[in-house]
Amino acid sequence: MNLITVGVNHRTGPVEIRERIAFPKAKLGEATCSLLGATPLHEAAILSTCNRVEIYGLTSDSGHASAAIRRFLHEHHHLDQNVESHLYEFCDRECVGHLLEVLCGMDSMVIGETEIFGQVKEAYLTAQQAGATGAVLNRMFQKGFAAAKHIRTATAITRGSVSIGSVAVDLAEKIFRDLGSRTVMVLGTGEMSEATAKALRSRGAGSIVVCSRTRERAESLAVQLAGRAISYDQWPEEFPGVDIVISSTAAPHPIVTTEKLVPLMKLRHQRPLFLIDIAVPRDIERACGDLENVYLYDIDDLQQITRQNVAAREREMVACRVLIAEHLERFWAWFDQNRPTLQQRHALVGRVPPRGDAGPATSEDVAYNK
Amino acid sequence: MSDRGYLWLALVFYAISCLLSILRLRRSGPLPALRRFTAIAMICGVGLHTVFLFARGNSIGRCPLTNPFETTVFITWAAALFYILIGSSYRVSFLGEFTAPLVLIINFVALSELNDTLRPPPLQPVPWMVDAHKPISVLAFGAFALACVAGGMYLVQERQLKNRHLSPSFLLMPSIEQLDVINFRLMVLGFGMLTVGMIGGMISYRIVGHWTKPKIVWAVGVWLLYALVLLARRVWSLRGRKIALVSMFSFGFVLVTFWGVSMVSSVQGGPP
Repeated sequence: MNLITVGVNHRTGPVEIRERIAFPKAKLGEATCSLLGATPLHEAAILSTCNRVEIYGLTSDSGHASAAIRRFLHEHHHLDQNVESHLYEFCDRECVGHLLEVLCGMDSMVIGETEIFGQVKEAYLTAQQAGATGAVLNRMFQKGFAAAKHIRTATAITRGSVSIGSVAVDLAEKIFRDLGSRTVMVLGTGEMSEATAKALRSRGAGSIVVCSRTRERAESLAVQLAGRAISYDQWPEEFPGVDIVISSTAAPHPIVTTEKLVPLMKLRHQRPLFLIDIAVPRDIERACGDLENVYLYDIDDLQQITRQNVAAREREMVACRVLIAEHLERFWAWFDQNRPTLQQRHALVGRVPPRGDAGPATSEDVAYNK
Repeated sequence: MSDRGYLWLALVFYAISCLLSILRLRRSGPLPALRRFTAIAMICGVGLHTVFLFARGNSIGRCPLTNPFETTVFITWAAALFYILIGSSYRVSFLGEFTAPLVLIINFVALSELNDTLRPPPLQPVPWMVDAHKPISVLAFGAFALACVAGGMYLVQERQLKNRHLSPSFLLMPSIEQLDVINFRLMVLGFGMLTVGMIGGMISYRIVGHWTKPKIVWAVGVWLLYALVLLARRVWSLRGRKIALVSMFSFGFVLVTFWGVSMVSSVQGGPP
């Protein structure tokens, strides 16, 4: 009995390849059944996301299974070009270790991202519903989910944001007690200011005021952010009531200066003010950041923090690998112990009946699904 | 074991809590197990600290506030107790990471340097109302001590935000606005308790018929100091960095002058 993974990811294959062998979500269950029919796999699951397509399986003959999976990918997607050079393969312990790394976001483009966890869970549930998983894959995935949860909480692999918008939100949360009662002003409607405003909104920012020289663009963004649009001339009047400013205008000179800000801060009774200057050339005079209770971050500052967080996550991978090895050993001890029994069952019935036929999930399975 | 032994043991747990905090800061992750052990060490420290006060109170037959050592230990106990209450109600467990070192250092100084002459038990039991103002006043100093801790945390977090250099502790610490609110509320709480304690003291000393002048002057001075700080916050919008610094300096001033006044007056007893 062997475990096997064959796949392609963002590192081994360009998007032109990945998009050709990706499986549509709606047809994933059907494709998994076809895979079982076309290959000597006893159990199988297909993971298909924008950055990776991976097939996980249990087989009695890994050599044949590998060739059959590759053939299946070609035939199922009617590929006219050879994708062989982009595919990677892991067997047995490496296969389990790889799954754990994927689940922890260590194999993702953005290290430590957590979206992949949900995507793997969805892929597993689809395979389970299609009756394609059995005792081994059920246990491998469920143990994998539990291990990933443990590793994420025990290490800092997911700590620190790695996008400009998220870093801005993190900073806002460390300045203000509660984002829900805060007003955000978006000065200028650039792509990045829009993303930052959306990130703040998604974390509960109270109200959003959009201000742009082009009234239509301000109104359009205000609708998207469920905020209100004001004309460009109105921003100084609104400013005292604002807590967070995201600025990205095309102005050639700073529009917010210390001379303007000092009286405004008095009007605000020195409440903290968070200024995010994404514009180049900058919209906010650097000296504004020296004023008391004013926190100014420009695009370079935010990118610097992003880089630091990425580096910190990369460093944390060492600790993650230690924990992965522990979880892997525990799973492997079980697999090794049960391998002869599983072999016998497969020899008797050809293919182990899918979990759907074999009865409900065990209490252990249920526990790990929680 | 002597009652001081319990306090030494409490300091061991506070020290463990400090070490675990440093470890947590260096590792930067959420590390729930480490956080749990840090909290357990802190709770054990407060528990043993309480045992010390209880044992001392039993042996002297009154509230253990009869000499500078006892009063100092009581203040730090109140600060640790407030941390346990505030930390859980405001969800700012990280306050403990800063409280433990303060409690550890002050208690260490108290154990090694301060006068701890045991006062004989009173011949006649003292009515509880006469002594009640003392623990109330000292609890107020516990609140001021914790306000000082929140002020220190504010300065650390604010410095990181201003310098745009975020250490691993940045994400673990509360927001500066929350620290500002905690700092202010603790000072209001402390001020309220001190006011009650002082009123109680005035009534009690009239009953008993003796009082120590330097301590009364000192207590009025402390009351005026905090009244001024709170007024400044209210009237002149003194907040953020300035109020954090003021709360730290105020507590430092209170602690140093308390020890000074105690030595000068050479009268054993806590602040009125």
